[in-house]
Amino acid sequence: MDTAFTLNEGVEEGLKKILSSLLEKGKIQAAMVLDHTEGGGAAYSLITDPQMMAQTRPLLPLMPANAALALSRLTLKEPLSGPVAAVVRPCELRAFVELVKRGQGSLDHFIFISPVCGGVYPLQETLVKGGIEKKLPEYREAMRQGEIAVDIREACRTCEHFVPTGADMIVAAMGQDDPETHGTVFMQTDRAAELIQDLGEVMIAEKQTEGPLETDLIRKHQGLRRDQKKKLAQEMQLDQSGLDGLIEIFGRCIGCHGCRAVCPICYCELCVFESRDFEPKPVDFERDLSRKGRLRVPPDTLLYHLGRLNHMALSCVGCGSCTDVCPVDIPVSSIFIQVGESLQELFDYLPGRDPEEEVPFTKYETEEFAEFED
Amino acid sequence: MKGAQIPAPKGIADGILSFLKKGLQEGIFDALLLPVKVPAGDSFSYVLMRETDLMDQASPLPPVMPVQGAKALSNLTRYGNGAEKIAVPMRPCEIRAAVELHKLEQVNLENVFLIGLDCPGVLPLKEYLKNPKKGDALYRKALQEWALESPRWVCEICDPVSPEAADLHIGIMGAPRGKLFLIPNTPKGKKLLKRLDLKAESSLASRQTEIKKLAQKRTKNKERALRALRQEVRGPERLLEIFANCINCHNCMRVCPVCYCRQCYFDSEALKMTPDNYLMRAQRKGGLRLMPDTLLFQLGRMSHMSLSCVSCGMCEDACPMDIPVSRIFTLVARDAQIVFGYLAGRSLQEPLPQVIYREEELKEVETPYQETYRPS
Repeated sequence: MDTAFTLNEGVEEGLKKILSSLLEKGKIQAAMVLDHTEGGGAAYSLITDPQMMAQTRPLLPLMPANAALALSRLTLKEPLSGPVAAVVRPCELRAFVELVKRGQGSLDHFIFISPVCGGVYPLQETLVKGGIEKKLPEYREAMRQGEIAVDIREACRTCEHFVPTGADMIVAAMGQDDPETHGTVFMQTDRAAELIQDLGEVMIAEKQTEGPLETDLIRKHQGLRRDQKKKLAQEMQLDQSGLDGLIEIFGRCIGCHGCRAVCPICYCELCVFESRDFEPKPVDFERDLSRKGRLRVPPDTLLYHLGRLNHMALSCVGCGSCTDVCPVDIPVSSIFIQVGESLQELFDYLPGRDPEEEVPFTKYETEEFAEFED
Repeated sequence: MKGAQIPAPKGIADGILSFLKKGLQEGIFDALLLPVKVPAGDSFSYVLMRETDLMDQASPLPPVMPVQGAKALSNLTRYGNGAEKIAVPMRPCEIRAAVELHKLEQVNLENVFLIGLDCPGVLPLKEYLKNPKKGDALYRKALQEWALESPRWVCEICDPVSPEAADLHIGIMGAPRGKLFLIPNTPKGKKLLKRLDLKAESSLASRQTEIKKLAQKRTKNKERALRALRQEVRGPERLLEIFANCINCHNCMRVCPVCYCRQCYFDSEALKMTPDNYLMRAQRKGGLRLMPDTLLFQLGRMSHMSLSCVSCGMCEDACPMDIPVSRIFTLVARDAQIVFGYLAGRSLQEPLPQVIYREEELKEVETPYQETYRPS
């Protein structure tokens, strides 16, 4: 049985009070949560003042940037010296674990709080009048029913990993009764249970619920997401697309490399495709011109995408940020997620599932893929 | 000044392409760099070509600017000129960016024929992509009537309408029906005309009149738009608000033709701090946005490149959050360039203000050292 506490409030309000109280009592140094910005959107913020928790939006269904980027920035130089709570979505947490495996951050002293995730809206939705707030009633209703909210991103609609792995606390934003009035928080680790021990009177109802976290509603939702994923794969028919199909899809790429910049896995400070090695010299142009008579300038548009895919697909958590950022609406994540998952399956690897699990290419097996060998 | 005339009976694009084709066939150019429709038909990319077989798919004046021509030219010539003589027809802001990049040693013009084109402006990239066919039709009309419906903001206020830095300018405005002007600006351009047996004997009076008219209209637009914008963005709070939606993707920096640094300072190790540093900064205000320094990046980039900003609008086209980047940069760039009597990309001979040393300069904004550091 899972240990859980019922809140006197809805999930988001309750969470804010927990964090505010932890800050107040000095049990955490800071909380990293989504906060409103002056422009009507949201951004991750490192909050130290308990009073400021009230204005934050830890569960706003929006991913202005994958939180793993912020967590990595925070702990790239050295680990935290004291406890910091971070409210992040399941794919953000998994991305951070992948980064930690690559020496780009440290998990030490983080207390991860993650919701059962109903997905997020496209970033551009914040620019529409009324923004995300207007969508919230509809979103919450979908969560109550275990349905997929209308208009959430495709990456979210087709994501099967919406129940967090590796979190210290899981906020049951779906699958339990009354998430909007009496939310439930599941304790996944001892340090989480310990942390909220003396908060009982403030915001947690006397009642201690006994799981399970994965209810029928969640299993139903799982099925819906799986169906969506299958449907997308059938529509895209990526395995039939071939080189010409890929050229059709990526032909309008303007080379901004925003997909790389926002990808939590693409951590290289200087991408090889932006390095001197990939800057053609006059002799390269002349050679290619002689061979083909014509050449796109700058060259290597598709090579960049396939190269990036090749570099990061094993760790792709399917967060969808690449599609969100693309100014010319290339369905980057639809392709990367499909390729990533089929590759991950080969190695029985789920990125970010377990910090101890090695990234497949750092592991040497004497016998591997004999079936592909000549 | 006078110009030559070339025939364009089947329209502007065809006239320009026929001229380029002739240059290629007569061996004056070895290759052309031209925008060509991508296979899916939903955008354009620059293609370097030696043969004429792809030219029927080329658009010397496409409805959008998916890649800044100067950026493509820099990619092609950054490591020096090859043996090929390349003709590069570009829009005025692309020519001007190429001039700036030449000064910054990121473009080598030795074997390049810069060919300027009159430009009615382009459509916002995102708008175009919603319905490329509609955009193409809109633009065909614009090329005929020389007025574009809903162009990008920067295009509407672009008043250096006919820059003279190109070796040769292809004049569309004011040309007699079914003709185009060829206006040589440099010895290279004059030689080119001579080799093609063309004589610059036609009067450009009708063209000057039309250019003046367009420039006046655009200048008026500009003054009005900048006046309104200046009110809108005044003060740090307003700037914070405008850039608040920035997600730090730095697309603006990577598509900017002038931002040529391989590694931007703002993406470098220099800005990565220890956790205690971030916590301390958070404690000072109760909270710290992560990533930090969003506005610092914008202002930093602005101070690094605005003297060379040609207001091409690429930054805004590439912004996934629709932040009016190019408007704010245009406003600041114009003011900064006026201070130095400089116009980015106007002339290859005009040195960058940062490289000129004057003993006496900008005294009116100076605070004497003694005044700043006088012991109190």
